[in-house]
Amino acid sequence: MLNRRRFLTHSCSLGAALPTLGSGLLSLAAMRDAAAQQADYKALVCILLAGGNDSYNMLVPTDTDQYQQYANIRSDLALPINDLLPLTLDGTDGRQFGLHPGMTALKTLLDSGDASLIANVGTLLEPFDPVAVNEGRSELPVGLFSHADQIQQWQTAVSDNRTAIGWAGRIADRLQSANPSNGVSMNISLSGSNVFQSGNNSTEYSISANGNGAVAINEYNNPDFFGTNRRTALDRILATPANNLIEEEYRRRFRAAIDQQLIFSDAIAQAPLLTTTFDAANPLSAALAQIGRVASVNASLNAPRQTFFVTVGGWDHHDEVINNQARMLPMVANALADFRSILGELDLFNSVTTFTISDFARTLTSNGRGSDHGWGGHHIVMGGDVNGGQLFGEYPLLSPNSPLDVGRGIYAPTTAVDNYFAELALWFGVNRGDLDQVLPNVTRFFDPTSNDTPLGFMSS
Amino acid sequence: MAIWSCRNVLRRPINVLLVMALVAGCGGGGGSETPPPVVDNPTPPAITKTQLQEAARFASQATFGVPFEALEPMARQGEDAWLSEQFALPITRHSPTVVDILQRREAGEFDAFEQDIEYLIFARRLAWWHNTITAEDTLRQRVAFALSQIFVVSDNVDILEVYPGALSTYYDLLLTNAFGNFRDLLAGVTRSPAMGIYLSHMNNQRSDPNAGTFPDENYAREVMQLFSIGLFELNEDGSHRLDAAGRPIPTYDNDDIREFAKVFTGFSFGGPAALFGNNNDPRFNVPMQMFDVAHETGEKRLLNGFVVPAGQTGDADVEMAIDNLFNHPNVGPFIGRLLIQRLTTSNPSPAYITRVSNAFADNGNGVRGDMQAVIRAVLLDPDARQTATGETRGKVSEPVVRYVSLLRQIGVESDDGFIAALGYFLQNETRQHPLSPPSVFNFYLPDHQPAGSLSERDLFAPELSITNANTVIAWPNFLDAVLLGGFVTDPPQGFSEVRLTPDRWLAIADDSTTLVDEINTLMAFGRLHPETIAAIIESIEPYEEAPLRVALAVYYVAIAPEVIVQQ
Repeated sequence: MLNRRRFLTHSCSLGAALPTLGSGLLSLAAMRDAAAQQADYKALVCILLAGGNDSYNMLVPTDTDQYQQYANIRSDLALPINDLLPLTLDGTDGRQFGLHPGMTALKTLLDSGDASLIANVGTLLEPFDPVAVNEGRSELPVGLFSHADQIQQWQTAVSDNRTAIGWAGRIADRLQSANPSNGVSMNISLSGSNVFQSGNNSTEYSISANGNGAVAINEYNNPDFFGTNRRTALDRILATPANNLIEEEYRRRFRAAIDQQLIFSDAIAQAPLLTTTFDAANPLSAALAQIGRVASVNASLNAPRQTFFVTVGGWDHHDEVINNQARMLPMVANALADFRSILGELDLFNSVTTFTISDFARTLTSNGRGSDHGWGGHHIVMGGDVNGGQLFGEYPLLSPNSPLDVGRGIYAPTTAVDNYFAELALWFGVNRGDLDQVLPNVTRFFDPTSNDTPLGFMSS
Repeated sequence: MAIWSCRNVLRRPINVLLVMALVAGCGGGGGSETPPPVVDNPTPPAITKTQLQEAARFASQATFGVPFEALEPMARQGEDAWLSEQFALPITRHSPTVVDILQRREAGEFDAFEQDIEYLIFARRLAWWHNTITAEDTLRQRVAFALSQIFVVSDNVDILEVYPGALSTYYDLLLTNAFGNFRDLLAGVTRSPAMGIYLSHMNNQRSDPNAGTFPDENYAREVMQLFSIGLFELNEDGSHRLDAAGRPIPTYDNDDIREFAKVFTGFSFGGPAALFGNNNDPRFNVPMQMFDVAHETGEKRLLNGFVVPAGQTGDADVEMAIDNLFNHPNVGPFIGRLLIQRLTTSNPSPAYITRVSNAFADNGNGVRGDMQAVIRAVLLDPDARQTATGETRGKVSEPVVRYVSLLRQIGVESDDGFIAALGYFLQNETRQHPLSPPSVFNFYLPDHQPAGSLSERDLFAPELSITNANTVIAWPNFLDAVLLGGFVTDPPQGFSEVRLTPDRWLAIADDSTTLVDEINTLMAFGRLHPETIAAIIESIEPYEEAPLRVALAVYYVAIAPEVIVQQ
């Protein structure tokens, strides 16, 4: 789209004009004032499947030999081949794959080119080399196979140490620090505080899926005496900076929440009522519908770039993995289909890219009822700018002797999260030269100075 | 039945009961070992306002809240003697309350309600709220709640939600061992059916080469990472031990997890007719039973070179594994820091952690893991008791603790004597409810560092991860409904309305300064900012109605940042 090209050109020149700010990213902030910002609007929607989705049962190889390997390794966890939804995907080198039987809605999105799949992505510090690992000279992510570390690293894109700064937070630091008083954060969460959207100087704005997302403090906006009296008292209580740092942070959040709610509620009140029906009983559908409404008022929120974050918990299926996935994967697929329809109604499908993350996939071998913590896993991307209907990355050849198997059928990733996120960040408008500010380890896997794409799943 | 006698007792306002409990056994001497001498002159020395404030501050760390009337006896008694008294109180267990509620359901009391079946789920929540709000052994209840955030199980697993005894029995295990020995606590948790369900070592069986299955690694991992030793080798002050290259040293690797996973095979529900893998008679009130037929034979190589020999019974293997963990030098600093974070401060000094670690290692009589010694060390530490405020002291008070404390401070009563609450609304608004966190990682992580000034100073504030734009406003609105809604809360059908009893403050409501001063002492330990005090007084002055004045004053104090963050 011409707008994007123009935007990039524009941002480069502004970057040069503001040498003290330095970063082309920072120039995005200047874009807030550009009249044409809405046309260039972009949003990333991150869906965290917390607990470690057993995605080797979400996407299953169905060639005769590979399915047999799959069935042998997975033992009692193998899905019957006839239950799998056959996919027609580009980019598989002729290999055949089937989708989990509960994800018919995702199959439709893949078939129509609205979504694609990324195979075997995971946290890495260098391309996986089994010989180097065996010889102990390989650099591996800290806390491999551990929920707390891996769920964090999928949000920080930093696997060599523990940090609470996420890559959307790093983007916001650069976009919003130039204009911190601008009101509502560009990072909006439907699942409260999270690492992905935590920056050094920026934090998420948390809303709920209910109603208009944010509620006012009772009586605060009531113009009668009772209301103004209470408002005066509260404002005074929150006006005193605290010496204690935790207290000051609490006070700051309280004050900001009150102020931001006024701005946010004014904005979302202008959002259209959706005519698209969605499954309001599906919490992910409800959250995504709210995200669609917020995205539709991005201009009122003065946010030409937004990220959204939503968690779906409960994927740690050491037990009952078959039954639980049969219940939960349809929820994800149906919610994505609902969201696609809603974004279509709002004319935002080309502006919003949705992607999944998860702690890890799981052991392909069974513990008799479920699977244990693994490493690389498969993921979903959806959006109008996604090169749809394809499988990106490399789906491992399953075998008990696979060099990627680090034990119990745990497959080492063949694509680093850094590549996955770099593709999204570049689409979002991060300049190639700034990519390592957002994804600190990206140059271990991708040369931003080249003309290559990190994975190629985004079309512009 | 117990609940009926309970009702009769509880017809009186709870705050009266609390005062009786807190005054009982208080001799005025302050020493914990020898009974105070009988003195002829019964006039005790006057207690200063500062002492009252200190008693209130101690109560914020050691209790689920006390009424104003309890402050003077507490101050007179002294913290050490108060702890001794609390250690000796009988345990207010939650399961008997659940049994009573289920009997009422069996008797048809809730039949008329559309949600009759829900009372199976409600029972354990009703028991938690009633008991925690009314219990005399409030230190034990507070410590058990802290332990429930270390040894995490959650009702977001269906079977633990729908079997009413599952979680109350588990909570009773924590209550029972809260003042016992940590080794018994760890062993009890390991054998608990609720934990067996939650971390899936229930029905975990030996590897089967023919089927290609392996032992479940879930409990093996979390018992190390979360319940005993943590990820990295620690010095006694809680800092990481470093290797020659200056990197932290992992306490275990994936091979160690697989060895521990072998140990935790063979457990199933217990009972007279128990069979491995049989879930048809789920008995949550007895420990899981070991079935050697499903237990992995062969040796297991555990931590620090310890080898469990081949050919033992499963029970013997488990005991050795518990010992292996219990005796690991990490347990004192690791568990000590977590308890400190739940009770006193998010950022204990290395010296504070060292003192608690030392108490864990040796209670003074050569006993390792004595929980009473650990709790004394946490609560009586100079860092916890020193009165100065500071940049990095204290913690965000947990929403559940804030709310229960408010109810116990003001006092509550009901016609049927049962203080009925379910906690769903609070949970929805604040993201916290006992035994209902979203994952085994609790409501927040101990190492949560909010972006900005706190992470720049390398400071932790776990509770701030559930303090966001949504919840930070939901809390005042929640209080608004309770306080300005007429000092009542809505119980589920079949239970009487719960009334707050701020009688003491209603009586002094016309004197704004005195009213706010007293609330300040009890709820803020005298630490309200002068501007906050002025704002409250000016806001309530225009109103004549005492209930409105009191409700507003309490509301403002309870939402003030200097009260929510307790130093």
